[in-house]
Amino acid sequence: MTSIVWQRRRAAVGSTWREFTRNRGGLAGLVVLGVVVVLALLAPLVTDASGLDVTKAAGQRWQSPSAEFWFGTDHTGRSVLLLTWWGSRISLLIGLTATVLSVAIGTLVGVTAAHFGGWLSAGLMWVTNFFLVLPSLVLAIALSTVLPRGIGTIVLAIGVTSWASTARLVRAQTLSVEARPFIERAKVLGGGHVHVIGRHVLPAVLPLVFVNTTLTVANAIVAEATLSFLGLGDPSMVSWGSMLRAANLHGAVSQRAWWFLLPPGLGVVVIVLAFTLVGRALETVLNPRLRGDR
Amino acid sequence: MSPLLELRGLGVHYRTDRGEVAAVRDVDLTLEAGQTLGLAGESGCGKSTVAMSVLRLLPKSARVEGEILLDGEDVTTMSWGRLRAVRWAQASVVFQGAMHALNPVRRVGDQIAEPIRLHGGKAKVSDLLDQVELPAAKARSYPHELSGGQKQRIMIAMALACDPRLVIADEPTTALDVIVQAQVLGVLSRLVAEQGIGLVMISHDLSVLASTCDRLAVMRHGGIVEEGPAREVIASPTHPHTRALAAAFPVVGDPAFRQVEPDEVRESSPLLRAEALSVDYRGRGGVVHAVKGVDLEIGSGEIVALVGESGSGKTTTARTLLGLRAPTSGRVLFEGEELPRSAKGLREYRRQVQLVLQDPTSALNPRHSVYESVAEGLRIHKVPGDEAALVADALAKAELRPPESFFPVLPHELSGGQRQRVVIAGALALGPRLLVADEPVASLDASVRGEILALLLGLRRELGLAALIITHDLGLAWSIADRVAVMHEGVLVEQGAVDQVLLDPRHEYTRRLLAAVPSTTP
Repeated sequence: MTSIVWQRRRAAVGSTWREFTRNRGGLAGLVVLGVVVVLALLAPLVTDASGLDVTKAAGQRWQSPSAEFWFGTDHTGRSVLLLTWWGSRISLLIGLTATVLSVAIGTLVGVTAAHFGGWLSAGLMWVTNFFLVLPSLVLAIALSTVLPRGIGTIVLAIGVTSWASTARLVRAQTLSVEARPFIERAKVLGGGHVHVIGRHVLPAVLPLVFVNTTLTVANAIVAEATLSFLGLGDPSMVSWGSMLRAANLHGAVSQRAWWFLLPPGLGVVVIVLAFTLVGRALETVLNPRLRGDR
Repeated sequence: MSPLLELRGLGVHYRTDRGEVAAVRDVDLTLEAGQTLGLAGESGCGKSTVAMSVLRLLPKSARVEGEILLDGEDVTTMSWGRLRAVRWAQASVVFQGAMHALNPVRRVGDQIAEPIRLHGGKAKVSDLLDQVELPAAKARSYPHELSGGQKQRIMIAMALACDPRLVIADEPTTALDVIVQAQVLGVLSRLVAEQGIGLVMISHDLSVLASTCDRLAVMRHGGIVEEGPAREVIASPTHPHTRALAAAFPVVGDPAFRQVEPDEVRESSPLLRAEALSVDYRGRGGVVHAVKGVDLEIGSGEIVALVGESGSGKTTTARTLLGLRAPTSGRVLFEGEELPRSAKGLREYRRQVQLVLQDPTSALNPRHSVYESVAEGLRIHKVPGDEAALVADALAKAELRPPESFFPVLPHELSGGQRQRVVIAGALALGPRLLVADEPVASLDASVRGEILALLLGLRRELGLAALIITHDLGLAWSIADRVAVMHEGVLVEQGAVDQVLLDPRHEYTRRLLAAVPSTTP
């Protein structure tokens, strides 16, 4: 019996994929993402991490792009290409883990608030609104100054401050699903909370959560760059934000060292754009109402 | 003189992803002033498309062929300006679903006046309200302050605002209760007689059309299958589809429609009993007493119909009997024992009493296959045994055969009647003793209503399954119930055997209900 279910799911995934590939922007975004992720994973195998060490810098300070250093060198003589390459690892890692944390909290809060109602819902929505009105950057800065420096802190700071909009979205969707008569039918059949949420609510809400995830990743990567730029990141790690911070601190502008500013900046733009394109494409695939004439 | 409306070889095609779909094919109709024409058919037969094509109100994806002559002038070739002048001034529409066709944030008087302002007419809103038998003061109301019947009359007043010669009414009474329906139909008939306008009325309910229309056209799959004087079409239908439509609306009191054998053997041990049941809702406007002291008994193997208008508390009663809502006072007894309040106890109770909802389309999770939907209850209760065999058995009992072929099917691939059978199969899988069916056929097409009702009767015969059927349709109660309980404003005003209550009503309200039922035998 389960084979039939799996067959249908496979067919559903197949048709979603076909629909997705018809969206050129989304496909381009996916290809860019794939390339960036593969490069980030391959970095330790292809390049030598010792080049990141200031004491082992290979080049002169502020060297402009050349055949040896494609993107030039920074204020300590390190290769900007190498820094950007390794920086993508941290940006992606923090972006993805912070998103998982944020979406998980948001989904949990949203579904719980909508399903149970009453004072629990009121309390949860009160907390959600608190996080919505508070400027999340200020809160994240406060959190990362209080907690010890490190990747975990940044992930926590971004994840804990950015779940509120997901929670609202999930709550709205859950409410609309729970109003449908098949939920009442499930209750009459004897289904409890776990059954109703697990079998009916979550499968209907998850596509939306999935779309929301890809869009949240983009925000998380920008947030990470912002925090690192403000000097709240892990100082021992190279990320795109910390590169921009170094460029700013050591006067890359007055040195006219555009090659130190552009690669990390463009890196953030390209990744964010790619995630957004994929998210928008998924949105149109999973929500047919958005599908207009292309 | 040319007739008021003449359709010649009308065809409408919709462009879709799957190519062109023909919605209407080769329809010829004529209507003279002062006449009423009924257009009957099931959902998707193209009757609304025909109506909307008269004023060119179809979506852009539609391609119209043939001629639509309004007073001898072809609508399909009219210029945009001419069409605007014709719309409402010559022909107007009473749209389907008055609940949604009115702007909720504007007073109804302003909405009636809108076409008058646009066309520079001289009619007065108060006169129009008078024509539809509403007091002039209602012009200052907002739509939500009016009842369904009042809103429908506002829609009619709006349609009459510019003295049109033709009015098209698309399902004008579908969402209304019988008594209100009779009033609205009365208003429409009187207007046709007094003002000599032509009326095209669209409905799926032959009895509604029979009581108001001179002529009747029955549509199926986009074409007209039968046309003629209303009485003749209904009295002696020639096309099998017309016969099916006529048979779907049972006539109260006609023994031909009574499907229950009078001498059928029945046990009389009480299965479910409500004693002095009261339910209150705490709303914004204070406490609402939805159900007031209801005593109701359903014997095992008995079919009881709970009849009443919308808002009479019949659905609340059913939900309380199912244990979905706790009674404010009074109690519900199942086999002599009070309903448990605990979650575990209620779960056990659910194996005995099951619910069939009104609209099978929304009662099935669109992502679950038939197999999963039917197996849902089995999995919740961890029923021992071969799951696939139990599902197949339940589907077979609901007359979906061969059951295995339905396993992987998703709800949207089924017809409305098949979906309702799946819902029933899902309930049967648990082997209940009582089915509570909330308007089980109200959202189904006429031709499948009879099948679902026959299925309920067959289940009673074979499995001894009792049923509480909640309905606003007295004909349905006449057709399959053993006993009828009539509910009005939260109170059971009358209950007893079907023949007794429906043929010799004691209570004044039951009499009013019966008098309002439109009849196919005028």
